[in-house]
Amino acid sequence: MADKMNETAPSILSIRSLQKSFGALSVLKDISLSVERGNVVSIIGPSGSGKSTLLRCASFLEHADDGDILYDGQYALKGGVYASRAELNRFRTRFGLVFQNFQLFPHYSVLRNVSEAPILHGEDKEEVRERALSLLRKMGLEGKETAYPYQLSGGQQQRVAIARALCMRPEILFFDEPTSALDPELTGEVLKVIRQLAEEKMTMVVVTHEMPFAKAVSNRVIFMADGVIVEQGDPHAVLENPREERTRQFLRVFER
Amino acid sequence: MSLMTMIVKMSEGLGKTCAIFFLTLIFSLPLGMIVALLRMSKIKPVAFVTRFIITVLRGTPLMLQLLAVTYGPYYLFGASVARNKLIPVVIAFAINYAAYFAEIYRGGIESIPVGQYEAAEVLGYTRTQTFMRIILPQVIKRIMPSVTNEVVTLVKDTSMAFTVSYQEMFTIGKQIANSQTSFTPFLVAGVFYYVFNVIVDYAMGRIEKRLDYYK
Amino acid sequence: MKKTLALLLALAMVAALFAPSAFADGKKTFVMGIDPEYPPFSYLGDDGNYTGFDVEVCKAVCDYLGWDFKVFGVNWDEKLVQLDSFECDCVWSGMTILDSMKEAGYVISEPYYDNTQVLVVKKADGFTKSADLKGKIVAVQLGTSGETLLNGDLAELAESFDSVLTCDSFLKCFTELQGGAVDAVFVDMPVAASYVAKHDDLAIIDENLGAEQYGIAFRAGDAELCKAVDEAVQALVENGTYAEIAAKPAYADIVNNLLFLNAETEAAA
Repeated sequence: MADKMNETAPSILSIRSLQKSFGALSVLKDISLSVERGNVVSIIGPSGSGKSTLLRCASFLEHADDGDILYDGQYALKGGVYASRAELNRFRTRFGLVFQNFQLFPHYSVLRNVSEAPILHGEDKEEVRERALSLLRKMGLEGKETAYPYQLSGGQQQRVAIARALCMRPEILFFDEPTSALDPELTGEVLKVIRQLAEEKMTMVVVTHEMPFAKAVSNRVIFMADGVIVEQGDPHAVLENPREERTRQFLRVFER
Repeated sequence: MSLMTMIVKMSEGLGKTCAIFFLTLIFSLPLGMIVALLRMSKIKPVAFVTRFIITVLRGTPLMLQLLAVTYGPYYLFGASVARNKLIPVVIAFAINYAAYFAEIYRGGIESIPVGQYEAAEVLGYTRTQTFMRIILPQVIKRIMPSVTNEVVTLVKDTSMAFTVSYQEMFTIGKQIANSQTSFTPFLVAGVFYYVFNVIVDYAMGRIEKRLDYYK
Repeated sequence: MKKTLALLLALAMVAALFAPSAFADGKKTFVMGIDPEYPPFSYLGDDGNYTGFDVEVCKAVCDYLGWDFKVFGVNWDEKLVQLDSFECDCVWSGMTILDSMKEAGYVISEPYYDNTQVLVVKKADGFTKSADLKGKIVAVQLGTSGETLLNGDLAELAESFDSVLTCDSFLKCFTELQGGAVDAVFVDMPVAASYVAKHDDLAIIDENLGAEQYGIAFRAGDAELCKAVDEAVQALVENGTYAEIAAKPAYADIVNNLLFLNAETEAAA
């Protein structure tokens, strides 16, 4: 029964033959991937491989040149042509994005950072407030509701950013190197939160350099290099026993 | 003429000095934002023309602009010269200061990281919401020191209204100085401007402090 | 103490070097202070050099006395301050002799010009006497004798006006008038005459509102300098140079009011 459901229900996110270049530099060359509900997909690869650009295209921050992007079977981008602005706005409610540098709004309190967007979308204030408070509790930020971002550590700021994304109740959450800007001792608290979300079957795509995390949390790992997907599959298979030489080369750096 | 009489006479002109000051701020602060947005327009000719106008306004003396606004229409089209000089004076001041404020705003807007726009976009803020709620408040905090500088300069610049015969405080001071063959009115004017600016400085300091709740 | 003295001495020497009345190679330099915007007495000529009746006479005086001649454009409202601070040696520029100047100790030359203050109006407005301007706005140039008169001897007339607008140049006064912002300009007769001659739309109200005389102002203590200039001017009057200058077409408007020439004609007659 469950299997049958999987076959019929469309992937929450499908990307087909996505292409993107900056001037003469081709950053994404024919990328295709799909993410199923409740799955965690980790994308790894050297810097400049196009991982971040892929996420930014998926969240409409970059304008892809060609290909398809579908959310829940509906086209946001079809053959390089985007849906209307109003439609894109509707698609935006389906995903959330957590940035490397948090990008919290410095002039807003923690609570307002988390709750303003849903309120602007017309949701009930009290309801959003309750949801935001419970998300902050879940992120271990109880008592920080009235604090301003500059008063928080990097790890705390990133957890606020995750709460902010979650407060929009997205169907899929993108993480763009969520721990890269953090001091090493602070990465753990952020990864713990993501792991907790994975256990709750939150659909996530995580661009990361944290190999043990990718191995432990992901349903699938994608290795990208030079704008193409070199290898993907079960995290243990890709990370412990890669088929491709490029993957092995890349992973060797982390073994040291 | 006693010092007291001098001070009383000059205070009468102080109302007009204040009128120039406040009306200029009321018009130039928002006008500057419009100019800044035009200056940053993605439509190249609009940005170019705006940029040119800004360079003219910043690159020529305010005194010339006052003359041009007040007497220009008469010399060019035979239009009548305004009886109430406050109108051309405020127009010239507001346009001139808008050019300066526009460049300050532009610097402030461009200093906000792109990530702030992107974060707002992903969260579904509209362009207006992004600008009004996320960008502008941060811009205002960043540009406050430069704005304060301009406002202090404006206090002193009001004396230039004399050039088009607007009878503000400094003009009256000059008249008294002239008829009494005395330098005292200039001293009085200096004290007036100084006190005015101390108040302005205090007010702007309060505003800056109120924006100090975040970094 | 000695050091301070030496410093002061050095400063004084430097100051002397820059002082306008310094003697250079034995020749005295005489710096004439003028309002550069007061034709036909003193103004910037078409060739870019200062000229005007006063300027030409002063130059002739310097030639006569063997002095180096220099012109310095003063800020008219602060002319006496600038004179006192040695920026010029005299103020000689259609300047009305005021009692207050003499009281303040300035040395004033023999008066050389009889000035009359008049009201200039637009022909179209049809004003013919000063009383017609009751409740109207009148412009006057700041720092001119007209302004002084309106604050003093003619205060009653000034009060009958709606208000008096002070402009910082007579050109602006006339622009205000032609542009309709004021109803009349109170100005020196020669200035009025030369401006009205060039502008058909204006007229002079035929009413003498204040007889005044022009003279040259020197610093208190410069009585000898004043005497030397006075005598030189008289010499120029006698040798005909003065009349020669006055006969130029540019000075046609003022020639009748020159006191020395008229005295001469009277004497001749």
